[in-house]
Amino acid sequence: MAKYILKRLGLAILTIFIITLVLFILVRIMPGNPFPSERMSAEQIAAKRLEMGLDDPIVVQFINYIKNIFVNGSFGKGSSLYNGVPIKSVLPACISNSFRIGGMAILFGTIVGLILGICAALNKNHFLDVFCTVISIIGVCVPSYVFMIYLQYFFSYKITIFPFYFDKNQFLLSAVLPAISLSLFSIATIARFTRNEMVEVMDSDYVLLAQAKGMHGAPLITKHILRNALIPIVTVLAPLIVDLLTGALVVEKIYGINGIGKLMVDAIAGEGIDYNYVLALGIIYSALYTAVMLVVDVVYGLLDPRIRVTAKRG
Amino acid sequence: MKTLKKLLGVALAAAMVMALAACGGGGNSTPSGSGNSGGASGKPVKAMLYTNVMSLDTNLATDGDSFEVIADCIDGLTQMDADGAAVPAIAESWDIENDGTLYTFHLRDDANWSNGTPVTANDFVFAWQRGVLGNEEYGYMFSDIGQIKNAQAIMDGTADVTTLGVTAKDDKTLVVELEVPVSYFESLMYFPTFYPINQEFYEGLEEGTYGTSPDTYLSNGAFVLTDYLPGTASLSLKKNDGYYDAAKVSLSGIEYQVVGSSDNALSAFKNGSLDIVMVNGDQVSAAETDAATKDNIKVTGAGYMWYLSFSQTANNANGYLANANLRLAITNALDREALVDNYVKDGSLATYTCVPPQFAASSTTGEDFSADQTRFADVCSFDAAKAQDYLKKAQEELGVNDFKFTIIYGNNEGDEVAKVAQAIQQQIQDTLPGVTIELSNMTKAERLDKMQNDNYEIALTRWGPDYADPMTYLGMWITNNANNYGFWSNAEYDQLIADCTTGAYVTDYDARWNAMYDAETLVMNEAVIAPLYTKANANIIASNVTGVEFHPVALNRVYKNCIVQ
Repeated sequence: MAKYILKRLGLAILTIFIITLVLFILVRIMPGNPFPSERMSAEQIAAKRLEMGLDDPIVVQFINYIKNIFVNGSFGKGSSLYNGVPIKSVLPACISNSFRIGGMAILFGTIVGLILGICAALNKNHFLDVFCTVISIIGVCVPSYVFMIYLQYFFSYKITIFPFYFDKNQFLLSAVLPAISLSLFSIATIARFTRNEMVEVMDSDYVLLAQAKGMHGAPLITKHILRNALIPIVTVLAPLIVDLLTGALVVEKIYGINGIGKLMVDAIAGEGIDYNYVLALGIIYSALYTAVMLVVDVVYGLLDPRIRVTAKRG
Repeated sequence: MKTLKKLLGVALAAAMVMALAACGGGGNSTPSGSGNSGGASGKPVKAMLYTNVMSLDTNLATDGDSFEVIADCIDGLTQMDADGAAVPAIAESWDIENDGTLYTFHLRDDANWSNGTPVTANDFVFAWQRGVLGNEEYGYMFSDIGQIKNAQAIMDGTADVTTLGVTAKDDKTLVVELEVPVSYFESLMYFPTFYPINQEFYEGLEEGTYGTSPDTYLSNGAFVLTDYLPGTASLSLKKNDGYYDAAKVSLSGIEYQVVGSSDNALSAFKNGSLDIVMVNGDQVSAAETDAATKDNIKVTGAGYMWYLSFSQTANNANGYLANANLRLAITNALDREALVDNYVKDGSLATYTCVPPQFAASSTTGEDFSADQTRFADVCSFDAAKAQDYLKKAQEELGVNDFKFTIIYGNNEGDEVAKVAQAIQQQIQDTLPGVTIELSNMTKAERLDKMQNDNYEIALTRWGPDYADPMTYLGMWITNNANNYGFWSNAEYDQLIADCTTGAYVTDYDARWNAMYDAETLVMNEAVIAPLYTKANANIIASNVTGVEFHPVALNRVYKNCIVQ
C-alpha cells in the first residue's frame, strides 16, 4: 500500500509541475495586458515589465517563478488586480470563504444525494424513483447561479430570511443560499449515480446469495450493496469536491462572496490580465484537483482490495 | 410509502442541519451595520459600489470607487464642496506668490491621524516624494498636470527626490513650488494622489501591506475603515470621532457593497439592503414606472465621454482614415440623440464637442467650457446629405469607392456599450452607401492593448476627466501623446497646447481659456475623434438619505454631509 501511495504521489507532483509550466506559457500568450493603463507612458510600462521580469526569456521567468514559490513562499504581487499587494495576503480570506461554503455544499449535497439515490434504488420504478430522477434532471440541467437568483429572490427579497448579499458577520446565515444552490448539481449527480449503481449491484448474484442466506435490511445495504456501489460514486465525487471548493464563479459574483472563484474572474476579465493571480489560482486549482484524485486513488484501494493487489503486482 | 416520505423529510432536514453545523465555524453572528461609533447619533448609509476597491493606497489607486473610499477616510489640503470647488480642508489657508508658482499652505492645528498623531507638513512631503518615486499610473499628476518642480526630472532619473518642489517649512507649513503656474492647482489638491501619508506609521508596516486592512490604514478624514480586505465585496467605515470637523458629520458610518451587475441592485434597493444604487438604462425605464422607485431616481454626470477613435496610420485600413473627409463623413452620419434616447437611456448627454460638458467651468465667468453644444454642430451633428458629400470627396481623394472598417468595443464596459456599437454600425451603413462596418467585441484590456499598439481601425472608447480643466481632454491629441490613439499630428495644435500648459498663456487665464477653444476647433474640424455622449449615472437613492454630493470629476460621491433620517 505504501508503494502504491508513493507512486501516486510522485505522479501527482509531476502533474502539478507540468500544469504549472503549461499555464505559465498560456497566461503569457493570452491577449490583454498586465498593466492596462491609459495613463502610463511607454517608459513607465517598460519599467514595470522590467520589475516583473517580463522581458526575460520565458525559461528564466519560469525558473524565477518556481524559485520564488519555493524559496520565498510567494506567488508575487498583483499588477492589474490589487496592484502592489502580495498575493499571499489576499488569498487566505478568499480561500477560506470558498472552502467553507463549498464544504457546506459538498456535505449537504453528498448526504442528500446519497439518501435520495438509496431511496430511489430501493423503490425502483415507484414514485420516489421518478421523483429522484426528476430532481436529478433539474439539478444537472439548471446552472447553479439560476438557482441562486431564484433563492435570493424568494428568500432574501420576497421573504427576508437571509441577507440579500453575503455578509461575513453573519456567515452561517449568508452561506445557506449559496451552499444550497451550489449543492444542487452534486445532489443530482450523486443521487443518479447511487441509484444506478445500487440497482446494478442489487441485481448481482452475490446479493441474491446474501438474501438467500437470510440477510436483509440495513446490514445487506451497507455491507454488501453500498460498499460496492460506492466505488464509481467516489470517482464522480472527486471532481465535484474540487469544483465546489474552488468556488462558483457566477454564484460568488451574484451574492457578493469574496471567494477564489470571483477572484479568478476579476483577474481575467477585469481591467487587465493579472498574470500572477491567474497563475496562482490555476496552480491552487490543479494542486487541489490532483490531491483529491490522489485521495480517491487511495480510497479506491481501501474500498476495493483488487486495486491494491493489481498495484502491488504492477 | 407515507412513512418513507416522512423519513425522507426528516433525513433531509437533518442533513442540512449537519452540513450547516459542520462548516459554519469561524463566523460570528453580529448583524452588519452594528459597528456604529459611540459618538455618532445618525445611521450608516448603505451604498453600492460598481467594482471592487482595488487599492486604498493613494499612490496606487487608479479607479473611481477606490478614490471615493480613500476620500471618505483621508482629507487632502483642500476638499470638494457640493459644486466641486476647492475649499480648505487640512490646509486652513494658503498664500500664492511668484505669479502662481509658489504656494504656502498653512495646516490646521487640530488635524490628527486616527492613531492620535498630528497631521504634519512632512506627511505631505513623504507622500508626494513616494508618489513621484513610485511613478505609478497617476504619477503624471505630479509632473504634467501638477507641474510640481522637478517632478519630471526625478521620474526621468535625472534629479534626486529631495529636490522635489515640496518642503515642510515647519510642522504646519507646507511650501510647494511649481514649474509654471497651474490655474486649477487648488482643485488638484483634493485629488487622492496628493493626500498625505503618515511616514512613521507607513514605515512600521510590512512591505505591500499599507491600506490592505483597517489595521494598516490611518484616517485623518470623516470616516475610519472598520472592515476591509483586498478583494472583499463588502466593506465598512465608521465615523471618525477624532476628525477635526466631526461635529458636521451626521452619518455613523458607510456600508459599501460591491454589486457586480446592476441586475439585482434594484431588488436590493427595494428590500432595503442598499440605500444608494446605480442602475442601467433599461432599469431606469422600469424604475420610472414603479411607485417604489419613481421619486428616487437621481441622474448625475459621470464625467467620462464616449467617442470613436480613428487610427490614422498606414498600419490600419490602408491608412484611409487619415483622410479628414472620410472621418467627417462618419461623424456626420452619427445620430447622437438617437444613441442616448434609444440605447443608453440613463440620462447621458449627446455630445458635440471633444471636451465634454459638466466638469470644467471658467473660474472668472463660472461658465462651463462646453455648455454650448452647438459650437461645432456644423461639423459633427447628424446630417445625411452632408455626410454623403464628405464621403464623395473622400472617395475622390482616395480613389476608392468602397470602405470596410471594423469597430472594436469592450464587452465588459457597461450594459449599453454593445447596443451602442450596433446602433453606430447601422447608422453609418444606412447613411453612407459603400461603407461597411464590422463589429468586434473583446475585453476592455484587449481593446486597450490593440489601441496602444495601433492595431485597430475604429474604436469605441472613453475618457474620464482627471481634473477640472479642459486640458484633461485636450492634452490627449498632441503629437506622440500616449492617449493620442489616432496618431494625429498638427504643429499648430501642439503649439497652442504648449502655450496653454507651460508657455505664453499660463499667466493669462482668459487668453488661455480662449486658446483652448481654438485648439478644440482644430480637433473638431478634422474629426480627429467623433464624440458621442457624456455618460451619466442613474442613481436610485432612498428617500431618507440626503446630502450625498455627486461629482463628475475626481471624487464621484462625497458622504461627509450625508444624512440618513
